[in-house]
Amino acid sequence: MATNSIKLLAGNSHPELAKNIAHNLGLPLSNIGVYQYSNKETSVTIGESIRDEDVYIIQTGTGEQEINDFLMELLIIIHACRTASARRITAVIPNFPYARQDKKDKSRAPITAKLVAQMLETAGCNHVITMDLHASQIQGFFHIPVDNLYAEPSVLKYMQHKTDIGNAILVSPDAGGAKRVASLADKLDLNFALIHKERQKANEISRMVLVGDVTGKTCLLIDDMADTCGTLVKASDTLLEHGAKEVLAIVTHGIFSGSAEQKLKNSKLSRIVCTNTVPVDLDVNILDQIDVSPTLAEAIRRLHNGESVSYLFTHMTI
Amino acid sequence: MNNIVVFAGSSHVDLVDKICENLGIERSQVKLGKFSNGETSISIEESVREKDVYVIQSGCGHVNDNFMELLILINACKTADASRVTAVMPYFSYSRQPDIPYTAKGAPLISKAKEKYTFDSHPGTPVPQSMLTVEKPTSPSSTKSHNASNLDSPSKQHALQSPTPLRPSELRPTSSTSSRIPMIPNGKAEHPEQDQSSNADTLFNASNSSYKLWVAQAGTLIANLLTTAGADHVITMDLHDSQFQGFFDIPVDNLYCKPITQSYIQHHIPNYQDCVVVSPDAGGAKRAAKIADVLELSFAMIHKERRSQLLKGPPGATLTSGGGVPVSAKPLIESLDLKQSSSGSGNNKYVNTTMLVGDVRNKECIIVDDLVDTSYTLTRAAKLLKDQGATKVYALITHGIFSGDALNRIGQSVIDKIIVTNSIPQNETIKALGAERVEVLDVSNIFAEAIRRIHNGESISILFEHGW
Repeated sequence: MATNSIKLLAGNSHPELAKNIAHNLGLPLSNIGVYQYSNKETSVTIGESIRDEDVYIIQTGTGEQEINDFLMELLIIIHACRTASARRITAVIPNFPYARQDKKDKSRAPITAKLVAQMLETAGCNHVITMDLHASQIQGFFHIPVDNLYAEPSVLKYMQHKTDIGNAILVSPDAGGAKRVASLADKLDLNFALIHKERQKANEISRMVLVGDVTGKTCLLIDDMADTCGTLVKASDTLLEHGAKEVLAIVTHGIFSGSAEQKLKNSKLSRIVCTNTVPVDLDVNILDQIDVSPTLAEAIRRLHNGESVSYLFTHMTI
Repeated sequence: MNNIVVFAGSSHVDLVDKICENLGIERSQVKLGKFSNGETSISIEESVREKDVYVIQSGCGHVNDNFMELLILINACKTADASRVTAVMPYFSYSRQPDIPYTAKGAPLISKAKEKYTFDSHPGTPVPQSMLTVEKPTSPSSTKSHNASNLDSPSKQHALQSPTPLRPSELRPTSSTSSRIPMIPNGKAEHPEQDQSSNADTLFNASNSSYKLWVAQAGTLIANLLTTAGADHVITMDLHDSQFQGFFDIPVDNLYCKPITQSYIQHHIPNYQDCVVVSPDAGGAKRAAKIADVLELSFAMIHKERRSQLLKGPPGATLTSGGGVPVSAKPLIESLDLKQSSSGSGNNKYVNTTMLVGDVRNKECIIVDDLVDTSYTLTRAAKLLKDQGATKVYALITHGIFSGDALNRIGQSVIDKIIVTNSIPQNETIKALGAERVEVLDVSNIFAEAIRRIHNGESISILFEHGW
């Protein structure tokens, strides 16, 4: 008998997070086999009946080699659930892949974020849960409901408990993140500064200008993601040049691709903090992680029960 | 050729260059690459506004990367106001949908590269010479069937029942970095939910034995994704299932390799009139029989079957289909591939049999198939044919995927010559097997002609029969 209960399915992208979410919900992960054939095509076997169930598929955007594989895994799992008569299919994508390719910034540039949104819908997705979208406008690319959760409550809690909050100033490493940082600064009743960067090519920054006074302060650099870490490292150098006492970086998505590990090792950052929306495989002793699985689990629970999710935007679940 | 733009995906630029040469145009400029976080990046370097755009990408190599690249390219062209975007996929990825999970037959398995393969080791498997022989599954020779020997022993027990993914951990073809995606057969601990149970078999069946496992069929999804990305038209070649065309809401032109294959047989196989065309499985029988019909050659077929142990030769009448096809009085049943499934109840015993329908003694054989992936089917077929007295075995293949250790396997098989088209890059094949054992047929002119005709709004059906 179908019970319309929660079924948690996980792809291969982030097994630990899936396990944490399942643990927070007190539910097991459903049996599912996601493999690759020797010809590199993805193969999905769903190990139990999901007819008329409320299905949640946890898959994040990660992997320098496998990001497209993981995306295809997600699509094929969704499609498999759809053909297996699931009642509702929700894709839980903590880090939305291709989120930065969200505009036609030059002629004939692809808007891949929109394409991914359409692909998810085509596969048969009914709902999307994600976290700290690079641009919240991406929600508008979908015709289905998108819950964009915030890591902010978790980050806030971390800052209050694990940083020298009394002597801190929040810093946004670029103008785009100013809003996010200002919101945090308001809640913590702190000052904030801003770094203006001039970008010439993707992943390369040329010049940085600091707006605000950071002398003698503990600077908390806040951003939504750390990829190659060029921005963070340069920003921390700039801040230290301007008399900052120490610099901590706090990001939501720790992608850390390319030479990030090397850059962080050589950097003057005293700590780099990220959430576990993507698996972090980094051999850096200044790294600290925040677990956001309670927020994701609570969102799943509330969605399943038809309760409001907006409480999670401002509050941390216990 | 006005207003035509041809883009090459990164999978097979050589083929695109040849197609463009045939069309007498230049390949259009597009920059393909990846961002440092692995996301596919493309940049179209010339205007496509109001143009007729063709994006050529074969379903080989890193399939998902290439497929995403194709989708992004199509989408970018569409948003840049191309009047029509045609996806040209010489080999259509995900077109073959294995439905039996992970058995040796249904799903492509990967196995360790070996020095020796028992499937064709001549002294290895004793071959009965009688016309109708059924080996008992428990006979010692059965354990030497290549299937059983290529799987690790635990999986041998269950291979017929359900997936038993096991990965030789040292095997990561092409990629040196360790992937988080388990291969088939996969490692035991790679899966979060497999921590408790090391065996996927017990895992899947423990809680719900009444639930029948099935493998997700991605075909419809792939078709819909192409449409979603903005493709207006699809050109492909020798689709594994012709029903696949029905998954699309847009026109699909399925080109045939048959004219090229035929002409190769006629011009390059000496005494082809005496050859036998062989289909390595029942699914390809129609395709092979057509070629045999046109060239007036005799036809034989290999039939694989999983049946209960009480094996009888099928009635002769059912086998003598196709008038004029020489069929021996009694079918030859060769139990090459005997396996005993010991899982489940004790009387649940099955054997895999392979039988040859038709006579190949002292003949040259031409195996015709649409694709070769792991090459299990092909090498096994070749062995059966040689065992049945074939003097020479040619293999004529449209799509040579050759994944896993297929090239090793073919290298050590009894196949005398393998003829394959360049729908997928074949440089590796030539390198592995040597230029004298491999012949690569060029299909670029068929694609070029199809593109030319579609661009001009002409019929392309003549290509189905006469090539170009």
